[in-house]
Amino acid sequence: MRWWQIRKRDADLERELCSDLDLEEEEQRENGLPPEAARYAARQALGNTTLIREHAHEAWGWATFERVSQDIHIALRQLLRSPGFAAVAVVTLALGIGATTAIFTLVYDVMLRPLPFTEADRLVTVEEKVAEWSNIYPTLPVSANHFTFWQRHSRSFDSMALLQQFPVPLGSSDHPQQVEVMWATPGIFSVLRVQPSLGRAYTASEGQKGYEHVAVLMYDLWRQHFNADAGVLGKTIRLNGAPYTIVGVMPRSFHVPSLQWSSTIGENDRSRSVEVIAPLAFSKERLAEQMGDLNYFGIGRLNQGVSITAATSDLDALQHTIGESLPANQKATLSAALTPLQDTLVGNNRKPLVILLAAAACLLLVGCVNVTNLLLARSVGRKQQMAVAAALGASRAEMVRMAIREVVVLAVAGGGLGILLASGVVPAMQRYLPPALDFRGPLHVDWVGAGCALILAVIASLLAGAAPAFLISRTAPFEVLHSESRLAGESRGSRRARRALVGIEVAVSVALVLMTGLLTASLVRLMSVDRGFTTERTITATVELPGKSYQDDQHRATFYKTVLERVDRLPGVEQAALASGVPLEADDWGDMARVQGDTRPDTQLPIENVRWVSPDYFSAIQLGLVAGRIFTPDEWGQNLALISEKTAKTLWPGRSPIGRQFSLGNPANEKPFTVVGIVRDARTVSLAKPDPMLIYVPYWYRTEGTAGLIVRTRQEPSEMANAIRETIWSVDGSVPVPEVRALAGVITDSVANQRFEMYLLLLFAVSALFLAGLGVYGVVTYSVVQRNREIGLRMALGADRATVYWLVLWDGLLPVAFGAVGGIGLAYASMHLVKSLLFEVSPYDPSLTAGAICVLLMVGTLACLLPARRAASVDPMQTLRAE
Amino acid sequence: MASEKRQRANLLLGTLDMLILRTLLYGRAHGHQIGKHIQRSTDDFLQMQHGSLYPALHRLERKGWIVSRWETAPDRNRDFKYYRLTEKGRKQLVVEESQWKQMTEAVARVMWPAAEES
Repeated sequence: MRWWQIRKRDADLERELCSDLDLEEEEQRENGLPPEAARYAARQALGNTTLIREHAHEAWGWATFERVSQDIHIALRQLLRSPGFAAVAVVTLALGIGATTAIFTLVYDVMLRPLPFTEADRLVTVEEKVAEWSNIYPTLPVSANHFTFWQRHSRSFDSMALLQQFPVPLGSSDHPQQVEVMWATPGIFSVLRVQPSLGRAYTASEGQKGYEHVAVLMYDLWRQHFNADAGVLGKTIRLNGAPYTIVGVMPRSFHVPSLQWSSTIGENDRSRSVEVIAPLAFSKERLAEQMGDLNYFGIGRLNQGVSITAATSDLDALQHTIGESLPANQKATLSAALTPLQDTLVGNNRKPLVILLAAAACLLLVGCVNVTNLLLARSVGRKQQMAVAAALGASRAEMVRMAIREVVVLAVAGGGLGILLASGVVPAMQRYLPPALDFRGPLHVDWVGAGCALILAVIASLLAGAAPAFLISRTAPFEVLHSESRLAGESRGSRRARRALVGIEVAVSVALVLMTGLLTASLVRLMSVDRGFTTERTITATVELPGKSYQDDQHRATFYKTVLERVDRLPGVEQAALASGVPLEADDWGDMARVQGDTRPDTQLPIENVRWVSPDYFSAIQLGLVAGRIFTPDEWGQNLALISEKTAKTLWPGRSPIGRQFSLGNPANEKPFTVVGIVRDARTVSLAKPDPMLIYVPYWYRTEGTAGLIVRTRQEPSEMANAIRETIWSVDGSVPVPEVRALAGVITDSVANQRFEMYLLLLFAVSALFLAGLGVYGVVTYSVVQRNREIGLRMALGADRATVYWLVLWDGLLPVAFGAVGGIGLAYASMHLVKSLLFEVSPYDPSLTAGAICVLLMVGTLACLLPARRAASVDPMQTLRAE
Repeated sequence: MASEKRQRANLLLGTLDMLILRTLLYGRAHGHQIGKHIQRSTDDFLQMQHGSLYPALHRLERKGWIVSRWETAPDRNRDFKYYRLTEKGRKQLVVEESQWKQMTEAVARVMWPAAEES
């Protein structure tokens, strides 16, 4: 039955009944009754019209709807009569549901939403494992040599590809634009099962060295840079200074995550989205390198029905074959590691997200408990009403319905508001997506989020409504109606339930407060850890050299030298240095230093991080020298090196390394390095852990096309940015300088995610605390009102104000204390989740634990004080008179 | 509140349905006629209020056993809502009749076992 037909139907029934009445009346009159009596008799014969109508509605299947709408009406009326209660309850539920929905949306997008590729579950990332180096590098990127071998012999893969991603200048004009290029072997198109919407993908032969100057544009670049011109095919663009022919344009719907080697995902700066796809081609020498060049991100599509385990053992067998054929001085035990692509992209973001989701759910739980508490208090006030209803024959089911309809209306309102809240908050969370997964366009609350909110609203109303409904369904009308209504207290069961609920609230809040405390303490320690270098008055810039005009170390070093000289001359500059990267965004390369006389095979040598620097690097960031000296510009061309303390201890245990020699690479054709100094161990790679073994080589030995410029200034560095850009462009206008930032900002950015998590947790914890306080306040206030007479009597019998205060405080703080202990237990039990996120803080830190309990006790006391004052101001005379 | 009452009503309604269907076997009729017919045929034994007839009629119509239309009565210048039996309703009547027969026989066998033996 449609609702718009109900009026028509009703009118129809009315007419039908009318005609029946008329006929009956007529008949009665014919039987000789006077008109008045006939009408009366007819009515009697017909029966109760309201009841008939109701029964007819039931026959139309309309009754349920009517009953529900009636329930809603009543509930709304009841709630509007106590707007304060309604507002508090709705806002509480909205906060809980909104927060949980928002976090769930983020979690869903990161961990659960399928990747936008055909049969994405068959996509895996491939990494190599070298047993000899596993203590430093559990996994390594893939080597081109091994990849070629796998491609030829593996039977588990439908297709495979190697990738690299880095930005290069586009065009050849001055101040060129940077574009993000995904350099990929031709297999990428079949791995991702995607083809350009315009033109074609590049072919296998175009993936060969010498033929690789073709490019496929991503849709956005094509639209913005080429005005969506279909004639762009066949045209030439300059990437990195070299000409590339455009052969295709990808479809608009195609987006590709930033695929980098997994260890850098999530730690690096936010990466830009890919704008161009171009072939990754390997030179003959690269392909011949059997144990070097572990540099590329491997991705593959498994054959239908092949499991990851099967594919791994397939690759392991191939790796074993490769290992066997290695020359004696490069002996290594090789294997492979396969990970579902989605897991790789999520990286180490899983745990924080799960914790945040749990925290939001906790907040919702506390909110529900609070609403339950309020409802219980209300239901005590409505005991009379319920008892009358029960006495008049309301069934238990109907009583429960009466009890729960308010909650349902509250939960629906709260859920609706929660969705609004979440959709307001979610877009702001976009920037906290793991960079690797931030490629699917703007984040927003969709049907999944709305569904989540709906389910939460249902759960919330069940949670919050269960206890009141249970208590009400057990109403014994006789007792209630007989006891003198105004004085009747809360039943023991209800009071106990309310205490237990406050205990739960407190427990959850304590756990949240403790977690927040731990993460905060951990972040504070992380920020104040001895980094070994300083950030004051220091700015940094990243310099990207176009590859075509700076192909070798010689050209690059000359450019860098000129830049350093000119920046040094800028007013206000104290020191200017260049290095392979800015601290905490270091771009070192791994290499094995061979001390003279050491004849072990390469794979058994310790691996060091090698960093090229200009001599002023150490003074620019005040990285302390422990022994020896720093190489100077006068020693241009000489193979000198500085090593970190850790390297010194490992390579020359117990001896002074100054003046000793080692070689990188093949000692037969590389000049050895002479150690001139030892540098302090610091934390330049990550704040969270001490640096690995480091070797600093001068920039005249080796440089890369990407460099970090570090400038220490005499004044506040904010105005230096433009001067530095201009200086670099005065040397070569075609060099892009994407970003100039203060070094302190770089440090802060490196913990941006942790800070975000901490703030969110803090927000949740404070909200939970507030709610818990409200809960305690509610319970205590209520019990003070209930015990008004008792307190008055006590005071009349000589109890002083202090005793009354204690009475109330004891009453209120007992559940708080129990809850706090339970909460600490709860938190300790779930510590294994948090442990790995903590930095130099024990999850069982006694002072933090005590602090969390103290905070709760303080909030509890605060919540008790107001009702306690009210209790203490009870006038005993008045109470006695009222008796 | 009304669960007990409703059960009683259901029992009654079950028979009422059959009686209505049987009445309509003679042809179209409006509510008042159906009520009067049942009352008269049972010699006023089944004292029922006309009103309870209408929800039953609506229910039967919803089940598709009868159809209704407002039509002018042949003997007077006035519209009445006439009900007619459908093919489905005819079949239903057969079913209900046999069920009723079975039930009364069963009840009879329990109530008057001696009569059955003799």
